[in-house]
Amino acid sequence: MIVFANAGFVDFRIPWRADVFSDAPQGGDAAEFGTLGINVGAVKATTQAQIEAALAALRCDPTT
Amino acid sequence: MSDNIAVPIEELRHAIRHEYSAVATDPGRGFHFHTGRKLAALLGYDEKWLDGIPEANIASFAGTGNPFRVGPFELGERVVDVGCSAGMDSLIAAKMVGPTGRVIGIDMTPEMLAKAREGAAQVSTSNVEFREGYAESLPVDDAWADVLISNGVLNLTPDKDATLREWARVLKPGGSLQVGDILVQRAVPETAKRKIDLWTG
Repeated sequence: MIVFANAGFVDFRIPWRADVFSDAPQGGDAAEFGTLGINVGAVKATTQAQIEAALAALRCDPTT
Repeated sequence: MSDNIAVPIEELRHAIRHEYSAVATDPGRGFHFHTGRKLAALLGYDEKWLDGIPEANIASFAGTGNPFRVGPFELGERVVDVGCSAGMDSLIAAKMVGPTGRVIGIDMTPEMLAKAREGAAQVSTSNVEFREGYAESLPVDDAWADVLISNGVLNLTPDKDATLREWARVLKPGGSLQVGDILVQRAVPETAKRKIDLWTG
């Protein structure tokens, strides 16, 4: 999540996740690492204050 | 999502192009991931969204999520599809934003771009175009897009910081990022992260 905030995104969320690799035609490494498909949403911040607030929340700053 | 790690980027791009050129030209071959209509159903794509999309473009679909379930698309919006592959998501987005909207699909694999362009020509759509480019260096102006979609691409970029900053660059302030990707539930050893095969398989 921090990598998204550092890039200027806020409201990061993962609204869906599921196993999308099981029973693929060829074997792969997905199962070894418990790999899931996910949907990710975020919004490009409109102000620097939004980004700073998002980063502060991720750091669990007591001021937020 | 993967951490930023040092892999030779050109070697990685070569491996990815090799894999996905096969998805474009021989989608029935079978891969370490699902493809096509079966995959679209698994990812929650509405059958109606696929109406009118050429079967060849659907067959080469290899996403890992569903950008269209993350947020709504409005008529007239501008959409960038990063790593568009054979264009299925771009063509769906083109229908959703309508003739006053625009879609730019970007991919680095020539065979995928050719297939995407063929598909767009078949459906005679005038609001979508496909450009060659990299996820880390998009051929799109600053703040052009209302929505940036991508599907199974971010995990294939070695420098997530640079990639996401580039994606932010092309979005308008307040613009929406709607992405399909992957996450791992067990840590990937550092030595394994340097194996090119692990990135594509």
